Amino acid sequence: MPAPSESDLFPRLNEDGRRLLRRLREHPAAPRYTHQIGDRLTPEAFRRVREFQTDLETGAATRGWSRETAPDWCASHLAFAYREVPFYRRRGAQPAQLADVPTTNRRDLEAEPWAFVPDSQPLDELVVYTTSGTHGRPLSVLSGVEVSAMYLPLLRWALARRGVTLEGGPGKVAIAQVCAQRFTFTFPTIATYLDQAAMIKVNLNPTEWRRPDDRARFLDDCRPEIIAGDPIAFAELMRLPISWRPKALVSASMTMPPILRERLEARFGPVLDIYSITEGGPIAVEDRGEWLLFPRRLYVETVHSDDRPCGDGELGEVALTGGFNAFLCLVRYRTGDGGSLTFRGSQPVLRDLQLRPATVYRKADGRLLNNIDVTMALQRFSLDRFSVFQSAGGDLYLKVAGIEIDEGEIRKAMLDTFGGGVRVAIERMTAEEGGGRVPEHRSEISFQALLEQGLW
Amino acid sequence: MNVEGPSFEPLNRRLSECPAEFLAEPRIGRRGLIHVDAVVADLLRDLGGVQRVVDLRPFRTDDPKDRNRLSATLVAAWLLHDDAFIGGRFGEAVLGFLVADIPELAQVVPAPQLVTDVDRREELIRLALKALGLRPAGESAAQAQDRLTTVSTVERRRVVAAARAAEERARAIREAMAKKAEEEVAARYMRE
Repeated sequence: MPAPSESDLFPRLNEDGRRLLRRLREHPAAPRYTHQIGDRLTPEAFRRVREFQTDLETGAATRGWSRETAPDWCASHLAFAYREVPFYRRRGAQPAQLADVPTTNRRDLEAEPWAFVPDSQPLDELVVYTTSGTHGRPLSVLSGVEVSAMYLPLLRWALARRGVTLEGGPGKVAIAQVCAQRFTFTFPTIATYLDQAAMIKVNLNPTEWRRPDDRARFLDDCRPEIIAGDPIAFAELMRLPISWRPKALVSASMTMPPILRERLEARFGPVLDIYSITEGGPIAVEDRGEWLLFPRRLYVETVHSDDRPCGDGELGEVALTGGFNAFLCLVRYRTGDGGSLTFRGSQPVLRDLQLRPATVYRKADGRLLNNIDVTMALQRFSLDRFSVFQSAGGDLYLKVAGIEIDEGEIRKAMLDTFGGGVRVAIERMTAEEGGGRVPEHRSEISFQALLEQGLW
Repeated sequence: MNVEGPSFEPLNRRLSECPAEFLAEPRIGRRGLIHVDAVVADLLRDLGGVQRVVDLRPFRTDDPKDRNRLSATLVAAWLLHDDAFIGGRFGEAVLGFLVADIPELAQVVPAPQLVTDVDRREELIRLALKALGLRPAGESAAQAQDRLTTVSTVERRRVVAAARAAEERARAIREAMAKKAEEEVAARYMRE
């Protein structure tokens, strides 16, 4: 397949964006980038993102939403799903109420992502986004080209609540996404929606750079308005002699230990914690111990195991209806995350959100390992489920579920990831464990304790 | 078929007792007895629910090829002029049924069989109820759809065509996925 052209990658790139991209690619302290990526934002997709932003600003999405009722748009969304989307249509007659619709889950989406695409949706602006999330087995999420850019108005909304303006603009690096992993895709790109500002994604693993001190030099020189990442990447960021203070840090994907938040706020400034999943996009932003839902067309509820909606403040599983992805029509989609929903006045909020903890492991040589690296190491085995536990002594215990399990290869992958001196025991999950909520990553190496003891 | 409607048997009996006038020659050009457009107009008035001026031209024709369609329309009009539907504001749904579904049925079933044949009577009744968003009393939506698919050649053709269309669409999406999977996707602006 021929490599995509610049206009394929950046339909709206202009000379300012081109110049900035070249500067970031050729920067003397830049990392050894591993990828090339564009925003894919066509003029028509740009218009849809602007409409989304306007919708956000008017508050139309939450009209009618109360303890007793779903938002006004839900009824037409449900009718649309049962009329146009194969997965729902083949269930038969549309139930009278949303609460009577059976939930869906990741396995439904894994099995046939095409069944969630409305019949009327043209396919020419389809992108395929692959994520492992917390599960290990990659999930193909079909997406429109505008979906990534739709994160930006949401980010702006969340930042504005903290008095921070994401300006963007020519010549500026708007967002630096930092990771701390063995390997990940790294690149500079231009967000044409932010008026030709750049986004960079870098890996703080020193082996990804020509010189270890290039990490701080490059980030200082880029002067990103926002630094985005996860708690483990931010802990690594804290170790670098960076003098630049961004306007805010944006953390997602794992629970942020309070001690880390305090230190990051003291060193860098405001820290925003966002709850977001690939299938649904950004869902909520942490605010005074609760999670404020973004004012978008995404109905959030919590459900019992038998699909009944939970009551006000009752613990259940977070489920989503709606969303901004024209290729993925969500109706009561179970996220796998626990929580409770209540209202602060007229504002729906999530409480007791049970997100993935920031689990770290210890390699045979004593160095610490991000749980994401273990997920990536297991990805090629297409396991249905896995659970990894490391004891304080360093021994690894794996439980796995799947159709074809090559224990020998899995053991090799773990030894390659952790180092040769680690003991690895592998067991199959019982049927009960496979169907239940066994956490993917657990470790007696406490990230919180490492931070408290100054060992990170 | 979200709403439970009338019982099947009384409708079946009514249809089997269709008066001879409704099986008489429909008016086509200058020939025939029964002005089908007038019968439909009366039916819609008595059903209620039609707030506009209705175009009855589909029921007025010079083309002899329309004979079976018009005869089937008369039989359906007899069926639907039942107390179960009168005053129920089904006018728009019935009009849609007569304009869209009856022509399809008339392509495969001679109109008299809609009265004389047990399975064809059931087919007409179930198609009509479905068009009105109703299911026979005592049946679930799934049972009603299942039975309709069993007795109705028209419904079976639709189900097969819909299944074929769905599979073609799924194949088109899978092909697009395979093509697009090699392309660079757009970056996400935060971790997830």
